Formats: sequence, structure tokens, C-alpha cells
Amino acid sequence: MEQEFAREQRWNNLAAEYQAMLYRVAFANMHNRADAEDVVQEAFLRYMKDEKPIVSREHEKAWLIRTTIHICMDILKSSWHRRTVPLTDSLAQSKEVYLPYQLKDDKALEAVLKLPVHYRNPLYLFYYEDYSIQEIAGVLNEKEGTIKTRLRRGREEVRKILTERSLGDL
Amino acid sequence: MSIQEIGRSGKSGKEQIHEYPGRKRKAHSEQFRESLMQNLKYKGQPQERDGGEKAGKETQAIGIDGRDKNGTEALRAGQDCVEMTGAYKIEDTARAGRLSAPGIRVNTAARREAVRAAEVRHMSYEESDNIEIAVTEGYTLKGKLEGSHVYVEAKYDDGRMEAYQVETGWVPAKTQQRIEQFAVETAKQIMKPLSDKGACSPGD
Repeated sequence: MEQEFAREQRWNNLAAEYQAMLYRVAFANMHNRADAEDVVQEAFLRYMKDEKPIVSREHEKAWLIRTTIHICMDILKSSWHRRTVPLTDSLAQSKEVYLPYQLKDDKALEAVLKLPVHYRNPLYLFYYEDYSIQEIAGVLNEKEGTIKTRLRRGREEVRKILTERSLGDL
Repeated sequence: MSIQEIGRSGKSGKEQIHEYPGRKRKAHSEQFRESLMQNLKYKGQPQERDGGEKAGKETQAIGIDGRDKNGTEALRAGQDCVEMTGAYKIEDTARAGRLSAPGIRVNTAARREAVRAAEVRHMSYEESDNIEIAVTEGYTLKGKLEGSHVYVEAKYDDGRMEAYQVETGWVPAKTQQRIEQFAVETAKQIMKPLSDKGACSPGD
């Protein structure tokens, strides 16, 4: 009984600590509040079922982010998802549950979220979740050089999107 | 005869006298006198031009160090300069450690740098007082006010991380350095709510 209580307590603490961050990562990929919440729940469930021996807090965090991204990719690739049109939430609508700090420029974030997935996740984690290149490489199971290249190319893509948008505004 | 001869020779000598070096010297002195007269004739014009340049220089001097050398008009022009640029120029000169005006002496040994390198602490966004995310430029900046200085941490997309301690009081008003500008923004952002509440009002 005590063991069960302790486990429940641990899961609650885990959810309180990572829920917001995992939700942001999921939202960055799903662009939809409901889907993002489903993804986060699924990630926690997998973690609880897995009962993996945790080496460190960093390892735990990286595992959860990686699982969240994998779940997002699975959903985005599914035939059901491809046949449906999501009711995409705009960044402005979901701002109150979004980043825990004030952004001076929302346009850049919106541009990042429009990038292809192999640029989007490294850029989002690097700039908006403050991860280092080494940590991103660990989370995404890629080499550091690959992450650096994706950051550089992703930055160029963001610049293109913002330039096109500013030209469109004119 | 001999006298005539002498006289003739003297005449002929007079005709050839210009070939003597002494005569040449005389011609030279005449040319000099002519050029001197010409110079005296046109003396007024160049003097005015020189005077204008001098006045301009002195106006500049007033603009930088606020001294009057050329009468009231120059002083008026100088006062405008002092109001607009005087204080900043002195400060900027002091910072760069150069002597740009004769009236200002700067001790370069006593010069202080506003930005100093510091150890990277891996401060999180939550801990920071101010954040700048520049995706298109490839860097992020985090700032935290710590007493009289601002701790700034910069992260670049090539993997570099740098940290600085910026003495905001030493940052020139129109600095072009992004780190300095960001540190000043951070300090202002923190100090603004305090000043709005009147925590530092002189009446207290």
C-alpha cells in the first residue's frame, strides 16, 4: 500500500515537473492543443509502463522528450491523421499555456513551427527550450555535427519564411 | 685715349652688365618686390579665408570642450554643439582612451571596460531577468541583474557559449555592441517597476 502511494507520489511529481515542457514540445509538432495533450498523456503512460531504470534526471528528461517526439511523428505519419484536417490552434490563441517567458518576437517562433520536422525540433529545443547542441543530439539520437548543420540550415529557412512574409505584407 | 677706351669699354661693359651675377641678383630682387606687392594687393582675400577656417576650428573646440575663443557668434554655434554632442563625445573619448580635443586629457591607464568575460553558469530561462531569442542571427541571450552589473550569457548555434559581466554604468549611451545594449535593457527592465513604485524616489 505504501509502495503504491510512493509510486503515485513520484508520478505526480514527474508530471508536475515535465508536463508543461512536454506539452510545449508536443504542441510545436502537432500545432493543436487537443492532440498535444493526448501526446503528453501517452508519453507519461509509456514511461510508467516501461519502468526503466533511470540513470539521472537528465536521462529521464531526455527519454520523455524523445518519446514525446516519437509519438508525435507516429501520429503525423498515420493514415488517419493524413486523411483529416486538424483545427490548428494559432500561437496567439494558445499563448496563455505556451512559453513560460515573454517573447519579443512571435513571428520567428511561428516560422520555426512551420519548418519541416528535421529542422523544427532541433531549432525549437535549441532556441525556445534552451537545450545545448549536445543535449539535442542525445534526445534526437543524432550526431552533434548533424544538429549543428540542421540549426544552420533551419535558420536560413526561417529567414526565407520571414522575408517572404514581409514581402507579402508589402 | 685710354680714357675713351676705358669709357668705351665701360659703355660696352654697361651693355653687357646684365650678364654679371650682381645684375642678376638685382633682377631677382625686383621680381621678389613685384611678387611681394602682388601678395600685399591680394592679402585681404586669403586672410578672410584663413579667418573662416580658424573660426570653424574654434567652433569645433567650443563644441567639444565649451571654450569661447572667437566672439559671441562662435559661442552661440558652439553652445548648440555642446548641447547636442558635447557630453557624449567626452565620454566616448574617455572610453576609447584617445585624446580627440586639445582641452581634454584622458588617462588611458585609468580606463575601465564595461564588458568583462565571465564563467558560463548555464543559467536557465526561468532564472533570467531578460531573454532575447534571435533565430535568424543564430544566438540567444540571457541576462540577470546582479548588484551593479548584469550577467549576460550568450549561446550560439555553432555550439559556443560565452558569458560576460557588464557594468551598465560604464556603457556609453549610443553603444553599437549588442551585449552592452542587452545589458542596459535588462537593467532598465528590472529598475522600471521599482521606479514606478517610487522605491527610489528622493523624497524617501
